[in-house]
Amino acid sequence: MSQIIRLAGALGALMMAYVTPMAAQAARAEEPLRVGMIPDAGATQVSIEEKAPLQKYLSEKLGRPVKLIIPTNYNATVEALGNGSLDIAYLGGLTYVKAHARYGAVPLVQRDIDRQFHSLFITGVGSGITKLADLKGKTFCFGDINSTSGHLIPELILHDAGLNPKTDFKGFRYTGSHPATAQAVAAGICAAGAIDESVFHALVNGGKIGKDRVKVFLKSQPFADYVWAARKDLKPDVREAFAAAFLSLKPGLDDAVLKILRGTKFERASDASYQGVAKTAKALGLE
Amino acid sequence: MSETLTLLASFFPPDLKPSYLAALVPAFLETLGLVFGAMTLATLFSLPLALAVSMRIRGAGLLIHGLSVFRAVPDLTLAILCVIAFGLGPGAGLVALVLYYTAAMSKVFADLLETAPRGPVEALAATGASRLQVALYGLLPLTRADLFNYGAFAFECALRSSVIVGAVGGGGIGTELVGSLAGFDFQRATTQILMLVLLIAALDRLADWARNHPRALVGLIPFGLMAAWWCRPEFFALGHAFHVLGDMLPPSLPTDALQDLPRLVLETLWMAVAGTLGAAIIGLIAGLGASRRVSPAWLVFLTRRILELLRTIPEVVWGLVIVAVAGIGPVAGAWALGLHTFGTFGRLFADTLDHVPEAPGRAIASTGASRLMVGLYAVLPQSLKPVATHFLFRLEWNLRMATVLGLIGAGGIGQALYEAQQLFFYRQVMAYILVTAVLILAFDRLSRSLRARLNRTGGAAVSTGCLPSPAAAL
Repeated sequence: MSQIIRLAGALGALMMAYVTPMAAQAARAEEPLRVGMIPDAGATQVSIEEKAPLQKYLSEKLGRPVKLIIPTNYNATVEALGNGSLDIAYLGGLTYVKAHARYGAVPLVQRDIDRQFHSLFITGVGSGITKLADLKGKTFCFGDINSTSGHLIPELILHDAGLNPKTDFKGFRYTGSHPATAQAVAAGICAAGAIDESVFHALVNGGKIGKDRVKVFLKSQPFADYVWAARKDLKPDVREAFAAAFLSLKPGLDDAVLKILRGTKFERASDASYQGVAKTAKALGLE
Repeated sequence: MSETLTLLASFFPPDLKPSYLAALVPAFLETLGLVFGAMTLATLFSLPLALAVSMRIRGAGLLIHGLSVFRAVPDLTLAILCVIAFGLGPGAGLVALVLYYTAAMSKVFADLLETAPRGPVEALAATGASRLQVALYGLLPLTRADLFNYGAFAFECALRSSVIVGAVGGGGIGTELVGSLAGFDFQRATTQILMLVLLIAALDRLADWARNHPRALVGLIPFGLMAAWWCRPEFFALGHAFHVLGDMLPPSLPTDALQDLPRLVLETLWMAVAGTLGAAIIGLIAGLGASRRVSPAWLVFLTRRILELLRTIPEVVWGLVIVAVAGIGPVAGAWALGLHTFGTFGRLFADTLDHVPEAPGRAIASTGASRLMVGLYAVLPQSLKPVATHFLFRLEWNLRMATVLGLIGAGGIGQALYEAQQLFFYRQVMAYILVTAVLILAFDRLSRSLRARLNRTGGAAVSTGCLPSPAAAL
């Protein structure tokens, strides 16, 4: 028996020697603010580098280093906010509802368009699909399973139209991000798909998706979507400084940053806006 | 079909612009550091543990037995749980790899130490040597070659695993690859796959060199520890981990998910069987082509290079590519398993053909039979038993992989697990993890008894690591 204890003790000591300095390091001052973004538009090193102006803007405004992190999926972003490996995160409507319910995430700011956001149903120009009923027997692309405009709202619209993806479609998939949905529809991997309106317009205007290849055939009712939220125990002054940085973004002055955020104006966000999304999620069994 | 071909064509040419290659360097170093660090720690934990078992220290065996929990769950699941406990980045990947490979290597190392010839060990013990001395000066040197082979092989496995681990936020090339494929940035995905292939090939050469210079390995330990330190978890949210673990209990599935469970299990089984069987059939043909005894030299060379390329690309990478190009579902999963397994089988079968006794072949050749006839009637029948053993080992492994591939969109129980996890339905996650573990353990047992019946002297000891047998590491 004593040998077991000794063995376990030795292993434990090794682990401790490894873990203890981490705790010490966590206490060090001048830690960067860790800001995460759901990978609604991809999660590579390159996509982080493309967001460099945002990171630069934030660290100037906040007067401390800012580390920008894009986790590989929506769930990981929420869990990171819950376990404290992110201080602030850019979330979708549904992910915010989950982060708030599970970990008490605090809503800070959002674009003016996020309160009245829309989801678009898109299809290939030559597909012959013009209405929801035409989707029967076809393949369909959702965005991430946790996406509001890419899954929750489209699921609701399909449900209301009497369509069940599991039984009425030839097949469906979660592409993981909005650009991926657009590309999959353009390439014909999916006959149709559901996508975030601001990403879709940015892709079309930027020439990434040809207007001659993909068309919109349905626009959703408005709903509340994206929001920047802080972890529960982030200090109020840090939260406030972060919100102020976004509220003072000005078209003309900060265009590089605004382009990354695909918006023109930011407003304070409140939890009350998300009751509709929360109710829909419950009704559809996604929460 | 034409759409699929167009998409495949869009993987070429790879993006080799210097600016992009430079941007990839951090991810590349992260993968290398992650694997090197994790495997150094796993070796430092597992080797003493295995020695303790061989010294009959009570408790060590129990500890290894307890660690086997980590082997029954796919490494991807483990990585997801580590991301929850240790946050994003290489730290979570490091912990996942250390846990998984400490479990795998301690079991295999302990089994290998048992295979040391009894004579010298007993002679040493008779001189009055202590159990520690017997272990250090008897067992260890006697089994050194096998230990090294398995260790080198596990290292290569860890490199493949790091792609999986990266896919869920564990950092490195895996994270980049998943991002690029999801963003339809296929030319860059090709660049990353090429880098991975080069890394695996370089590792192979390094292992060959180290086999002849075992002392150099000791010199690598400080560097390994430094790499582990560099990739250490930046924090440890114990409270959060317990909170999430609490959310997982008790495991439960809603009625509709329960009704769907048999279909999901069958889908996963189908994926593994179809992929392995398909690979075995064409693998036998390719094996004839790659056999020095059956085929002309140019055909051997060509076949072997093709097989090499197929098996160097991990199943998960094949899976990511096929799912991105051809869509989700078990067929994509079966193809992913099949392509990689084909590469492995072709080589294994060729080596088996080349090593069967020559006499029957010469007898048939003396009747004026062609090379093909000799192959079909002398070489092939003699190699059926080892081929069947390889097949079963590989099927065991592919069942594990089938659950992992499900997590990236290839259907079956793995996909159900991943979707439940993404939606934070953690009690369902635990239920699926348990079903997966039972499925894998039950199949392992079935396969073991089949192998025992097939081949009473078979090397059943090493069936636990990344791949079932060291032979499959070829």
